[in-house]
Amino acid sequence: MSNVIDRIGQLLAQLQSPDFYEREEAVKELGTYSEDEAVAGLVLALEDFDLGIRELAADRLGQMKGEIVSQLLIRFLSHGDIGTRNLAAEILVRIGRPAVPPLIEAIDNDDHDVRKFVVDVLGLIKDDAAVEPLCGRLFDENPNVVCSAAEALGEIGSSKVITALVAAYDRTEDVRLQAVEALGKIGDPSALDTLFGYLKSDDPLILYAVIEAIGSIGLKDSVSSLRKYLYHKDPTIAEAALTAIINISIKHGGKIDCDLPLDRFTGFLFGGIKNRDKNITEFTLNRLTHWYGQGIVKSLLDVLDFVDEDTLKRVSEILGEAGPSAAELILEKLAGASSGTKLVLLDIIKQFIDDDIAQKLEAFADDPDPEVRQKVAYTLGMAGYAGAVATLKKLAVDEVGHVRAAAFGALGWLCSEEEADFLFMGLQDKYPDVREAAMGALVIVSGPKVVAKFTADLYHQQVERQRLAVTALGLIGETEVVDPLIKAINHPEASVRKSAINALARIGEVINVQPLTLALNDENSGVRKAAISALIAIRGEQAVAEIRFLLDDEDVWVRYHTISSIGALGLEKFSDYLMPYLEDEQDILKIAATKALAQMGCRRALPELKKLRREKNKDIVEAVEIAVSNLERGRR
Amino acid sequence: MEITLREDANVTTLSLKGRLDLATGSALKEQIIQLFEKEKTAIHLNLGEVEFINSSGLGSLVSIMKEIRLRKGRLTLSNLASYVQEIFEITQLSHIFEIFATEEEAINSYQAVTAG
Repeated sequence: MSNVIDRIGQLLAQLQSPDFYEREEAVKELGTYSEDEAVAGLVLALEDFDLGIRELAADRLGQMKGEIVSQLLIRFLSHGDIGTRNLAAEILVRIGRPAVPPLIEAIDNDDHDVRKFVVDVLGLIKDDAAVEPLCGRLFDENPNVVCSAAEALGEIGSSKVITALVAAYDRTEDVRLQAVEALGKIGDPSALDTLFGYLKSDDPLILYAVIEAIGSIGLKDSVSSLRKYLYHKDPTIAEAALTAIINISIKHGGKIDCDLPLDRFTGFLFGGIKNRDKNITEFTLNRLTHWYGQGIVKSLLDVLDFVDEDTLKRVSEILGEAGPSAAELILEKLAGASSGTKLVLLDIIKQFIDDDIAQKLEAFADDPDPEVRQKVAYTLGMAGYAGAVATLKKLAVDEVGHVRAAAFGALGWLCSEEEADFLFMGLQDKYPDVREAAMGALVIVSGPKVVAKFTADLYHQQVERQRLAVTALGLIGETEVVDPLIKAINHPEASVRKSAINALARIGEVINVQPLTLALNDENSGVRKAAISALIAIRGEQAVAEIRFLLDDEDVWVRYHTISSIGALGLEKFSDYLMPYLEDEQDILKIAATKALAQMGCRRALPELKKLRREKNKDIVEAVEIAVSNLERGRR
Repeated sequence: MEITLREDANVTTLSLKGRLDLATGSALKEQIIQLFEKEKTAIHLNLGEVEFINSSGLGSLVSIMKEIRLRKGRLTLSNLASYVQEIFEITQLSHIFEIFATEEEAINSYQAVTAG
């Protein structure tokens, strides 16, 4: 113990060192002791000339939370230096409840400044134990102490003090504002009658506070008493009344059903939205569903740059619902808006764009921001405005790739096959997304000319053009593309052969399947697999006789695909073809056969399947368990 | 192609089954024009059972979309099979159609707009 005391003595001496770091070390170590001497040392450090040391000492004292600490700190509330007084008060607040008893003891201090500090700190700690002593201070001889006591009681929020606050209001003029504010903060409806009486006050500050307090209490019935103040000659009072009604309305889920002269408050309400006041924003946007007009549209456009993402979404929806009547103002705003706002405005316009608006929107195709130009392209396309083709063709040769892609997409939606030559130029673009967009556009506008050009492209000198051509013909999917696709089964490029077969499988209108049957012998395994799927898709169970020989293909994945494709038909009559694969040396084929036989509902395979439970490969065992379970339950 | 029609308070849903091509696309368009005559312009198409769509089918959808826009109505799509979704991406039609993952989400979006 004496060692500790000795050490603390050394640290107290160290606090006098001219060296900042030595004093800092001393404070840090003193903070680890609970002895009174250490506490006293930290309290002394509150007077250090260096702010860093003072704040460090305050931090350590705040963590100690003892009555002794509090008592020592209370002495500092009368310190000559305001900074030290504030620091002591701050630590006391941080100590919280343990500081309350010594603070209550100090509440009758001779020095009114100390009494005020004590009252302020008790208000910030918000402990019920302080209510009675604070009520006593409502009748302090010093008006500053009285006002602080009213504020502190409001912070604590106990209904027990309403009578005392009302008495203070009646007795001391200086405390009226704070007493009313406290009644509002307490929020007890029993104070309402008194507050309604105070509405007669001639003092605009008091009247403002009373209205605010009534709003804070939030009783629905108060709205009728507040409503007349919406017409008050002093706009501040009128706005306070509206704010109070809004707060009451929000408290009741917006269910306040009365006519309000909101057009008088447009500036105030939209100012509230700009300042991100949650209640005003919620209330105003809800009311806007039945409160339109050019002025409102203009105000909504003005807040776009200031609001958060959720509000932006709601404002956009409201403007979208306002429809073409808002278009002129939106286009006007678009001209001077930031890029971000332009994108939002274009999204709004998209909801109701017509030919007339589209025509005006063309001016923005020259915007310096490529994102804006891209959105302009999409929006013009969406409008279906045929007059925009020239503008979109200009955007289709824009310097930025994604603008060109958007323009080609939009051209596809609104132009005819007459523009095919231009769209085919997009297939030469250096960026794949632009080439794909041009191909997509050609798919939509397709007709005989497009089909003929893509058919020719199947044998283009560039493989990429061949790939685009076969994909496009597959997507076009009309009867006219079947012959070119069948011919492409013999294309020199394997990827083209495979895509052609896949497309034919989807189209399904293949009368002559011989080329597909021949593709089963293709040198490329991917093509052989595509041919299996295509024949099954087109001919169903009749294809089994043709594809069966691929159960012995040299490529294990072709064998796997054949087993799976036969299994997917779900016909038990083909089970004999698959049973041998339960004993195949390739695990993957055992799994494929297991699943396929289960799909066929082949209960005959159960004994063989159960033998596979002894396999080491857990994937096989897992597939077998599912298959056995399904077969035994008669499920496929 | 089979078309099943269901009318809710806010929206008329057409569930399509089969192939959407020139012939069936025209039939779909005719059915929708009949809905316009009944002043129904809030239309949802469930494409969940559309197994094939070609350029004529896409053209029909674009044309239906334009007609609905002219009437200030709304068209939504849902349940696109991955192959149909891919076509919508390639043709960028996903930018002009309102596409929902499920019919329920699409129908709810009409209720949300009405409630708002």
